[in-house]
Amino acid sequence: MQPEVPLAPAPAPAVRALSCPNCGGTVELRAAGYTVHVGCQYCGSILETTDGLVKLITQAHLAQAHLEIPLGTRGTLEGIEWEAIGTLQRSQNGAYRWDEYLLFNPYHGYRWLVNARGGWSFGTMLTRTPVRRTHEIHELDGAGYTRFFAGEAQVDRVIGEFYWRVAVGEKVKTGDWVRPGFMLSREADDREESWTLNRLIAEKDVIRAFGVSPSGKIWPPLPHQPSPWGEWLLAGAKIGGMALAFLLILCVVLGGTRWTTSGVLPVAVDGREQTARLGPVTLTGRYQRVQIRADVPRLENGWVDLDYRLVDRKTQQVYAASGAAERYEGADSDGAWSEGSRNSDVSIASVPAGEYDLIVDYKGNRWSQFGTGNPDGGWMEPTNQPQIAVQVGTGTLYLSSVVIAAILLALPWLIGLILHLNFEKARKGESDFAPAGDD
Amino acid sequence: MLVRSDAGIAQFGIAAVLPFDVSPVQIGMRGTDDGASFEVIGRVRWSWTDGAWNEWLLLFEDGGTAWLGEAMGQFMLLRERPFAEVRSRTVKDVMKGEAPKLGHDVQIDGRKLTVSDARWALCVTAEGELPFTAPSGWRVYSVDLRGAAGECANLQRDGARVSFYQGRYVTLAELAPRGMRVIEGWALPDYAA
Repeated sequence: MQPEVPLAPAPAPAVRALSCPNCGGTVELRAAGYTVHVGCQYCGSILETTDGLVKLITQAHLAQAHLEIPLGTRGTLEGIEWEAIGTLQRSQNGAYRWDEYLLFNPYHGYRWLVNARGGWSFGTMLTRTPVRRTHEIHELDGAGYTRFFAGEAQVDRVIGEFYWRVAVGEKVKTGDWVRPGFMLSREADDREESWTLNRLIAEKDVIRAFGVSPSGKIWPPLPHQPSPWGEWLLAGAKIGGMALAFLLILCVVLGGTRWTTSGVLPVAVDGREQTARLGPVTLTGRYQRVQIRADVPRLENGWVDLDYRLVDRKTQQVYAASGAAERYEGADSDGAWSEGSRNSDVSIASVPAGEYDLIVDYKGNRWSQFGTGNPDGGWMEPTNQPQIAVQVGTGTLYLSSVVIAAILLALPWLIGLILHLNFEKARKGESDFAPAGDD
Repeated sequence: MLVRSDAGIAQFGIAAVLPFDVSPVQIGMRGTDDGASFEVIGRVRWSWTDGAWNEWLLLFEDGGTAWLGEAMGQFMLLRERPFAEVRSRTVKDVMKGEAPKLGHDVQIDGRKLTVSDARWALCVTAEGELPFTAPSGWRVYSVDLRGAAGECANLQRDGARVSFYQGRYVTLAELAPRGMRVIEGWALPDYAA
């Protein structure tokens, strides 16, 4: 007995070989049944291959061209294997040359691999039509594309096979609309209109798939090349914003003043100048802001002059500041009024570490005109025991440091922004619709 | 060639040999459209001055049929509609023998379709079962219409008879095909696995 062998039909062959009627070279047909025209890779003649017959359409005797991707090369892009079966060299009437490779997979149809100025795009022919939204914007699948080019493209060289009739010199009207990473291209002749969506792909992917050689930096940028700074700016804005918010929170939480030394100074009712010493004031930070606050709880219709001297016990270095507290109140036709405040805040910036004494020269004053207006005789009556409470503290954060930190944070971002704007200007400068004077 | 009609299936003379192509579809391939299963039972290959295309006949479980048009690596799934239902001036003009203007918009069922192609087509050959005889050399006038969202339609005029087909562009993947043609050197796609 013979074992049963499952009977599977032999796979259909993938390639059919023809010989060029002009030069006799072997032309391999890789998309038989679809292919209409073939440009012979040896002599450049164009052959018609519809349904098994080979007919010479245009005779040519070209030198064999060097192709970045030799026809018949297969490569995998995003998990799908493609074979390069045809290539066109095109231009805008001789200027701005670019190359297009027709890719084929019998199970996935056709795609385009376009090389313009060293940048690669992967094109898919659309079966739906983008919607014109405005003069400038076309829409496809909810995304807006801004117009970029409008012109006429001609075919300068044809090698390999194509699913339509190709001819050197053939012209179509073209229009391109872009958004970062994508270009929507329209081609139209008097017969038909077709739309292709081109996606910019990383050069390394094309190198890996088809072994092309790397092209250096592309400048000016391609129409649909996303700014390399765009994402960075967005991320930078987020991170920088967060850092700034954190700084501000830090400033609020830790930024108060740490009060370390205090004293109560009695005010002489006769209004003479007095001197008091508070200390020691110990400063531990390398440099800090010293804050001095004076509260005069009984102050009414009068003022206090305050002169501070912070004296380093070791070096006798003096840091001086002065302040005043004044407060008035009364009544007029509009009713009761008051102005001023019963306390005074002064600060001395950047005091180095050390042991200090705070010398306070102070003098209480009465605004005589209203001095008798108070039932208890005014704030400088002995019975009211006028006094000044002085506190000395250190600030742990300066607002100015926060500002400097914010600038340091923003600086790289601003540089990125300038680079981004420069990139976008250069990119848009290539557009047929660039504002005049941008070129 | 077998012809499927209300009177049953009849065999006709031997048709011309199909030229070699690398179509991934073959007779016997199965798939689904909108939940309904079908099998590919026939094909007509057409050519015109600028190329050729396939039309595959799909037979659904309920006995209904549809055509899977295959051109330039793209697929269209079309169902025949009685021509009397189609109320469009341009379409009726085509029936009378006039050539439509390319780019001309046509309203069908309130949807806008644009005339994208109009040409004489020549039947190269046919295989499998078909609802009509498709002799090699048979000439029909064919008009393609396209909508903005992938809708499409086709009008065929054969002498005084006009057939109208309407449908949409599809990808093979969305038809969940089984039994696709195996082509040497190419891996079957993930969607057919």
